Amino acid sequence: MLLRDCPVISKRKPESMALFAVFQTTFLLTLLSLRTHQSEVLAENLLLTPEAFKVSVNSAQRCLHLQWTVHNLPYNQEFKMIFQIQISRTETSNVIWMGNYSTTVKWNETVHWSWESELPLECAAHFVRIRSVVDDARFPEWNFWSSWSSWQEVNVQDSTGQDTLFVFPKDKLVEEGSNVTICYISGNIQNDISCYLEGEQIHGEQLDPHVSTFKLENVPFIRKGGTNIYCEEKQRKAISNGTVLFVSKVLEEPKDFSCETRDFKTLICTWDPGANTALDWSKQPSQSYTLFESYSGKKKHCEEKNRCNWQITQDSQEIYNFTLITENYLRKRSVNLLFNLTHRVHPMSPFSVQFENISATSAVMTWKLHSLGDYFTLLCQVELHGEGKMIQQHNVSVKANGKYLLNELEPNTEYVAQVHCADDNHFWKWSEWSGRDFTTPEAAPSEAPDVWRTMKSGSHNVTLFWKPLSKFHANGKILFYNVAVENLDKPSRLEHRSIPAPANSTELTLDGCSYQIRVTASNSAGASPAAVIVVPAAPGNKEVEEEIIEGTEDGFSMSWKPQSGDVMGYVVEWCDRPQDPLCDFQWKKLGPNTTSTVISSDAFRPGVRYNFRIYELSTKRIAHLLERKTGYTRELAPSDNPHVVTNNLTSHSFTLSWKNYSTKSQPAFIRGYHVYLKSKEEQCQPGAEKAVLPDDTVCCQYKIDNPEQKTFTVENLKPESFYEFLVTPHTSFSEGPSGTFTKVRTPDEYPYMLVHVIVPVVICVVLLVCGCLLKSQWMKDKCYPDIPDPYKSSVLSLIKSKENPHRTIMSISDCIPDAIEVVNKQEGSKIQSLGTRKSLTEPELTKLSYLYLLPTEKNYSGPGPCICFENYTYNQAASDCASCGHAPVSPEAPPSQWGLLTSSENLLKALEKNYMNSLGEIPAGETTLNYVSQLASPMSGDKDSLSTNALVPPPCSEYKMQMAVPLCLASPPPTENSDLSSITLLGPSEHYR
Amino acid sequence: MLACLCTVLWHLPAVPALNRTGDPGPGPSIQKTYDLTRYLEHQLRSLAGTYLNYLGPPFNEPDFNPPRLGADTLPRATVNLEVWRSLNDKLRLTQNYEAYSHLLCYLRGLNRQAATAELRHSLAHFCTSLQGLLGSIAGVMATLGYPLPQPLPGTEPTWTPGPAHSDFLQKMDDFWLLKELQTWLWRSAKDFNRLKKKMQPPAAAVTLHLEAHGF
Repeated sequence: MLLRDCPVISKRKPESMALFAVFQTTFLLTLLSLRTHQSEVLAENLLLTPEAFKVSVNSAQRCLHLQWTVHNLPYNQEFKMIFQIQISRTETSNVIWMGNYSTTVKWNETVHWSWESELPLECAAHFVRIRSVVDDARFPEWNFWSSWSSWQEVNVQDSTGQDTLFVFPKDKLVEEGSNVTICYISGNIQNDISCYLEGEQIHGEQLDPHVSTFKLENVPFIRKGGTNIYCEEKQRKAISNGTVLFVSKVLEEPKDFSCETRDFKTLICTWDPGANTALDWSKQPSQSYTLFESYSGKKKHCEEKNRCNWQITQDSQEIYNFTLITENYLRKRSVNLLFNLTHRVHPMSPFSVQFENISATSAVMTWKLHSLGDYFTLLCQVELHGEGKMIQQHNVSVKANGKYLLNELEPNTEYVAQVHCADDNHFWKWSEWSGRDFTTPEAAPSEAPDVWRTMKSGSHNVTLFWKPLSKFHANGKILFYNVAVENLDKPSRLEHRSIPAPANSTELTLDGCSYQIRVTASNSAGASPAAVIVVPAAPGNKEVEEEIIEGTEDGFSMSWKPQSGDVMGYVVEWCDRPQDPLCDFQWKKLGPNTTSTVISSDAFRPGVRYNFRIYELSTKRIAHLLERKTGYTRELAPSDNPHVVTNNLTSHSFTLSWKNYSTKSQPAFIRGYHVYLKSKEEQCQPGAEKAVLPDDTVCCQYKIDNPEQKTFTVENLKPESFYEFLVTPHTSFSEGPSGTFTKVRTPDEYPYMLVHVIVPVVICVVLLVCGCLLKSQWMKDKCYPDIPDPYKSSVLSLIKSKENPHRTIMSISDCIPDAIEVVNKQEGSKIQSLGTRKSLTEPELTKLSYLYLLPTEKNYSGPGPCICFENYTYNQAASDCASCGHAPVSPEAPPSQWGLLTSSENLLKALEKNYMNSLGEIPAGETTLNYVSQLASPMSGDKDSLSTNALVPPPCSEYKMQMAVPLCLASPPPTENSDLSSITLLGPSEHYR
Repeated sequence: MLACLCTVLWHLPAVPALNRTGDPGPGPSIQKTYDLTRYLEHQLRSLAGTYLNYLGPPFNEPDFNPPRLGADTLPRATVNLEVWRSLNDKLRLTQNYEAYSHLLCYLRGLNRQAATAELRHSLAHFCTSLQGLLGSIAGVMATLGYPLPQPLPGTEPTWTPGPAHSDFLQKMDDFWLLKELQTWLWRSAKDFNRLKKKMQPPAAAVTLHLEAHGF
C-alpha cells in the first residue's frame, strides 16, 4: 500500500468551531480536575471513538481520503493518539490492509489521512473502519482502544450490471519502471475474456466472477502516445475495451548545471536536461525548469530546456545561490549552485586583431577587448600556428588593448596568430579564439645547397647535382642556381652559369685542368652561401674492390676505414633505381668523424642490387674513392635460369656453356650453379651427387661454386644415350626455378672410326688411280703394248717388191659380215641433214663406229677366232681403254647391252657429244641406218643406199647410234632370252639412267 | 503544388466563368473533383498507415475491427445501393459536402493529439487537400446552381471528448475517423464518376469511357 502519492496525509481544521470548543474545553477541564476521584467512571464514559468519519475517493489517484474527529477530548489540550485503520475489499471480512496512524490530536479536531490503493478503486468496493487509542504518558489510564467505527463503503463501480466491459485505470500516467495493477469489469458478459498489452497477452487473477486484475511490473516506455492495454471476448474475437497506460520516462536531475557572466549584465545558466518526459494526448508536457535564487528570493521560469538567462541587477550582489528545479506531473528534482559572480567571468572573445611591422622574422600583434570594468585584468594567451601546428604560445596580461611582439619567425612563411583571454584574478573560462593569418617576407637562403658530382671515367665531363634547399633554409622561392667555374691551374676568367629552378643538375665539360666549382641558390631576396667542390685534373681513382654488404628493409648499414686524417667529410653515393638509365642519382654527405652510416630510401626494393661508392672529401674539397659496397635490401630467389648452349658433343661427353648469363643483374648474389643431369644410369659420376627434384625425380647434381665459371663439361657418358640437363644458379639461400631439362643424345662411336680409317684409304686409292691415269702410256707400254700392223711392216714391203705381186694379205672385201646393227634416228632437221649430207665425211662418222666382230649365229659358243682390225678413225680415248682385242668376249653379250650399262661418266659425255654431232648431220625424220660392221669407214654411197633400204622404225621413236663400248667397261652379259633388236632400239630416257 | 491545386479548387465557385452558361459546363469541374478524390484516397492510405502505427497495436493490426462506440457522430458513408442510385445530383453533392465538412473538422482534432512533427505535417497537408476537395465540391454545386448547405446553429461538429471518454476510446474514434474518411473517398469517387457520365454528352461519353477504362 502506498501512502506517499496521495496528496493529503493529514490535515487539521478546528477553527470553525472555536467558540463552541471553548465551552466544551472548559467543561472537560472541569471533568479532568475531578479525574482523581472519578477516573474509572470517566474512562468508561469517555468515548474516544472517531466520529464524523467520512471517506472520499480520488479514483484518478487511487486514493481514499479519510477524515474524522475525536470529540471527547479535553479542551485546548493535545493528545498523542494512535488511530488504527482497517480496509477491506469486496466485503468487510476481506481485510486487505490494517495500519496505525499516530498523531497528536486536539479537541474536536478533524483528522485527515489518505490511503493509496494498488488496485484501481473502480475495480472493487472498499470498506474502511477506524478506532483509536490515547498514546499519551500523561494519561495512562486512557490507554485502551476505543471501539471500531462502523464500516464505510467506498464504491465507484458505476458501470456494474451493464453489458459493456470496462478496463481500469483509465489513461493512467505512470513512471517508467513502476508497477501497475489493472483490472477489467466484465459486467454481464459471460464469455471468456483475454487481455493484451501491445499485442502480448497478459495473465491475471480473478477477483470475483466479473473482475480480474493484472499486475504489470516494471512497465517500459514504449511511445509518447501511450501503451495500449485492451481486452477482447474470445468468442466474438472483437475488442471490447481497453485503456492507455501513459508511461513517462523518469525525470532526470539536471546535469552540469553552471552559471557565468560575460558582461556583468546577464548570468547565463546552462545544464544538461536529460531525457524529455513529454507525453502525447496532453497527458504530460515536457518537464519544466525553474531557476530560484535564494538570496534575492527571485524565481524565473525558464523558456528553454537547457539554459536560462538571469538578469544581474545593479545592487552589487556578488554571491548567488541558485536552485534549478525541474518537474513534471510525476516527479520533481532540483540541483543547487552557489557561486561568486566575479569568479564566473567568461570574457567575450577579443576583436580587431591586427599585425604591425611584419618583417622576415618578427611581427607585432595587437587586439582589443570588451571592457569588464577598470578593476579587471585579463590574461590573454597568444598562439602562433604554422603549417597546422602550434609553434609558439605566450601569456599576456591585458587591461583593455593587447599587444605582443612575435619573434623567431621564419621568412616567407604563412602564420596564423590567435588570442583568447580569461579573468586573470579568478580563472573561469577562456574566451573564444580570435585570430588572423599573416605571411612573413622572403630572406636570402641561409644555407649553401648540397652539391655533388659525377665524373665519367676517361673524359672531362662533370655532371653537377644539387638538392633543393629545405623550406627552412630556402627562405623563399628559389628562382635559379648560379654555377661559377674557376680554373685552378692557370689564371682565367670565371665561367658563370645560371640555371633556373627547379633544375637540380647541370653538365660541365672541362679540360684536363683542376677546377673549383661554386654553386649558390638565389631567391628574390638574395643568394645563398656557396657550395664549393673541386674537380682535380686527374681523378686518380684507384681500383677499389667491391665489398658485399647485407641490407635490410630499413636500409644498408655500412662503415669504412678512413685513409687520411685530414678530411672534410665523406660522401656516399648510389642510385635509387640502378636499373633505370637515369638511375636516380643520390648521395649523402657525412662529417669527418663519421665512419659509418645507414643508407635508407623509400625507393629501395627487394631483389635489386644497389652499389654504393664512399668518397673521402679532402680539405681541398677533392673527392677520393674510398670504398665500394654492393648489396640487396633483401635477396630474392633467381627468377631465370641461364640460357645454356651445348658444345663439343661426343659419344662420351658434352660441354655446357652459359657465357651470356650476367650474375650482376640477378635479384641476389649468385654463389654458383647447380648442373642437374638425368640419365638412365642409376649411379652418378664422380663429382656428382644424387639429388631429388621437386617432382620427386632423382638425378645427378654437379655443383659449381664459382659464379664466374660458366662452362661445364659432363664426361664419362655412354654413347648413343639420352641425357637431360638443367643448369640453375644458386644463391646463399635458394636456387633458380626448376625449369625444363634439355635433352642431349650422345652419338655412336663407330662413325668416328670410319672417318679416321676409311677416308684416308679412299684418298690413297684415288691418288693411285689418278697416278695411273697420268702415266697411262707408260702403263700401256708396260702392260699391253700395241700389236704391230702387218701392212706397215717392213717385211711386207720387202715381199711386194721382191716376190709375187698377187700374193696379198687378206682383203677386207673378202670378209663376210656376220652381223649388222641398225640404228634408227628421227631427230634432227631433214633440211639440215640434206644440206649437210656431203659433209659427212668418213673421219667424223667413223668416230662413232666402234666395230666389233660379233657372232652371227646364236649357237655360237666357245672361244672362236676374234679378229679385231685396227681402225685409225676410231676414237683414241675409247680405244685406249678398250680391251676387246685382248679380252675374250662372250658371244651372248650383245654390244648394245654393254653400251647401256656403261657407267663411266667421261665416256657418257663423250658419247653424248658424238651423238649430238651426228644428230646434226643425219637428216631428221628419216630412218637412218647406221651400218655397223667390221668396215672401218662406211662410204657415202653406202649411206645413201642404206637410206633407201632403211628399215622403217616406229614413228616418234628416238634412236641412238649403236656404239661400240670398250670391253673393260662392260657390265656382265644379259640373259639368254634377251632380244637383240629390242635391246638396241632404245628410248632416250633410258640412256641417262 | 497540391496546395496550389487545392487553393484553386477552393476558389472555383468564385470564378465567374464557371457560372456562366455556354461554358464547358460542369464536366471539367467534376473530372477535377474526381481526380482529387482519387489523389486524396492515395494520400490517406499513407497517412492512415503512419497514424495507426503511432497509435500502436491493436490499431495498426490489419484485422482490427473495433466496435463503433464513440464514432456514431461521424457521417456514415455506407448507404443502401438502391438508395444511392436514387439520389439526385443535388442530394448527392450535398451529402458529400456535408460529410467532408464534418470529417475535416474531426480531422483537425487529430492534429491536436499528435506530438511528432512529421505526423503533424502529414495531417496538416492532408487537411489542406481535404479543404481543396470541399472547395471543389462547392464549385461543382455552384456550377450546377445548387446552394451550399448551411450548418444548423448549434450543430457545428466539435472534437471535445467528454471526461468519461477514455483515451483508448478516443484512439478507437480516430481509427473510425480514418476508416470512414476512406470509405467516403471511395464513395465520392463513385459519386463523381456517376455525375461525370451523366453530365457529359453521349459522344464525349464514349471517349471518356475509353479513357476511364484505360485508367
